[in-house]
Amino acid sequence: MKNGALMILGLFATVALSWVGIVLGSNAQLGALPPYYDDTASASVPNWFPGAANQGERVYRDLGCAACHTQQVRRPDYGSDQARGWGDRQSVARDYIYQAFPQLGTARIGPDLTNLAGRKPSAPDSDDLLSLLYEGRGGMPSYRFLFEKRRVTGEVSDRALHLIGSLKPAPGWEVVPSRRAQELVAYLLNLNTTTYDLPEARPVPAAGSKEAGTEKAPAAAVKKPAATPPAPAAKPEGAK
Amino acid sequence: MNPEVNTLDESSRRAPLLLLTAAVLWLAVSGVLGLLSSLQLHDPAFLSCCSILTHGRVEALAETSFLYGWLANAGLAFALWILTRLGGEPLRAQNWAFFGTVFWNLGVAVALVGVATGDRTGFDLLELPRYAQPILLFAYAAIAVPGILAWGGRKRPMAYASQWYAVAALFLFPWFFSVAQAMLFWVPVRGVMQAVVAGWYAQAAWTLWIAPLALAVSYYIVPKITGRTVRAYEFALLGFWSLLFLGAWTGGRHLIGGPVPAWIPAVGVVTTGLLIFHYLVVFINLRDAFSFPGAALRFVAFGLLAYLVSAVGDFLTAFNSIALITHFTYFEAAQRQLAFYGAASMMLFGGLYYGLPKISGRAWASCALVKAHLILSGAGIVLLVVSLAGAGVVQGGSLLDPAISFDAIGRLTRPWLLAASGAQALLLLGNLLMLLNFLRTACCCREKAEALLSSLSSVEAPAS
Repeated sequence: MKNGALMILGLFATVALSWVGIVLGSNAQLGALPPYYDDTASASVPNWFPGAANQGERVYRDLGCAACHTQQVRRPDYGSDQARGWGDRQSVARDYIYQAFPQLGTARIGPDLTNLAGRKPSAPDSDDLLSLLYEGRGGMPSYRFLFEKRRVTGEVSDRALHLIGSLKPAPGWEVVPSRRAQELVAYLLNLNTTTYDLPEARPVPAAGSKEAGTEKAPAAAVKKPAATPPAPAAKPEGAK
Repeated sequence: MNPEVNTLDESSRRAPLLLLTAAVLWLAVSGVLGLLSSLQLHDPAFLSCCSILTHGRVEALAETSFLYGWLANAGLAFALWILTRLGGEPLRAQNWAFFGTVFWNLGVAVALVGVATGDRTGFDLLELPRYAQPILLFAYAAIAVPGILAWGGRKRPMAYASQWYAVAALFLFPWFFSVAQAMLFWVPVRGVMQAVVAGWYAQAAWTLWIAPLALAVSYYIVPKITGRTVRAYEFALLGFWSLLFLGAWTGGRHLIGGPVPAWIPAVGVVTTGLLIFHYLVVFINLRDAFSFPGAALRFVAFGLLAYLVSAVGDFLTAFNSIALITHFTYFEAAQRQLAFYGAASMMLFGGLYYGLPKISGRAWASCALVKAHLILSGAGIVLLVVSLAGAGVVQGGSLLDPAISFDAIGRLTRPWLLAASGAQALLLLGNLLMLLNFLRTACCCREKAEALLSSLSSVEAPAS
């Protein structure tokens, strides 16, 4: 290879082409994805996070929760996501458009956290999650540095954890969550895509093959008939 | 060991030597962090008390110090050294590289403190906090400029394969690093686009930066040590361009099944298959590494083998049916370790054992420690990759059965993860021995070293 300029140009092309192809290509498709306006419910989805949940996303990110937890439900016929109760429909790009730092995750050492507040039969509430964070359980470490153990002054705080067994603080003491812990829990409880449906999240109805449409597809499609779009304003691009 | 120092090495040793010293120190740091992170996988309560050592942060710290501390420093040292030697002129603008190195390592230290105190970014291979990134970008440019100058001002118009790979790595990193910074931090893209950009960056960091740096070392020292020209050299150019043109496209396979358009993983699968061509060419070119003795060559041969196995692994796990089991599991960690540790690091170790006597002008202080490092590294990597892959298969299989709880999966994978921690301990021990040997070599008094040199210089290695 004798021609230096040609080599540098070629090298530049390697980065530029992959960038144009993958990054710009997908950005053209997803970069301006609008929310979906549901005519029957007269509301647009997904919903914005409340402020505390937005802060909680930062806590989740800086503690590296994504090292063990994903936030992406896969389609019902791929993996056991649906069977584990993580969601009846797959997560699609539109679910994340209002998240400042979507934490899709790369490992499932712990369960997926997408629809924590929509779990069946019983969804955890904020007390459950705070106790779990304080205690740690199974493979999950405790995050005690997110809590404050302090002497009760006056009345017991209404935020104090209801701990039992060996973790129960001595009389006159209480364990209260820090603001970060509360934000983290607010975030986790707002990661809920079960309250709405998106047209592109429905399984593709048998593109040529009969099996794909018959077995599992209706489960997701029938679940929320309210969202059946007569003329979806948005193109179902994110669909698989 | 035959130090064969020439005047070029003598005049251009300052920056590479500093880079190498920083590299081996960071390697020890990342080894400790990697061991902690591995221990936390089977004993979650371990060090969970303090926020700076919570698992998510320790994992990011280990990854950052390994990639930006060890691999980058060592790879850059050899890139500069090889470009100087093959360019035939002393390294120009060497002070730029020297001070660039100082700032690069300051930047890495700042990044680690930032990650530990809560500024982790959450992007794979790009956990560097936002404020550390510009430091690293400018420091990198300062290190790369002398390398590009050495290539541009080379005496021979022909360039060798190791020069292509070194120049590619030096030239390309600032582009995709700055683009990723802009799209993820300065003007962040929306929603899942962040995952797409981060995936593209992570793949580019491997195929356009670390792998070329490691291959530059291999393409340089295999012919040097064996005394034979690269086999089927006419194919090397095709291997080079196929890696560069296809490499960065392959990252999409990690988004399989995710909330992104299906074409992104599909393109990843196709290009991963096409990239097999590159690996075949590298194998054909460098197969002499397997048939000659010598510690440095053993490291490179191990690295090449790991490089090929990782290619097969990437190719197979790109398929839907296999990814169904391996995706989101320890198997992906095994693949990462196989590529970054088994392939790139081992090739760089080979470069270190061949190059340090020439760069520093001193023979290795202890041959026994070199051998110990080879055995510990080889055994450690095999054990680490096998145990993580085993854990991944167990985990992946269990995840498919909704009746198996996460606690049960934790119990099933625990023996494998214990083995992985043992492997991390072996690797750490090996790297500490190497650090000891390195420091004794680089810091031992000059007279003693020169006496050793003259006694050894009777044997000259054939040059290619």
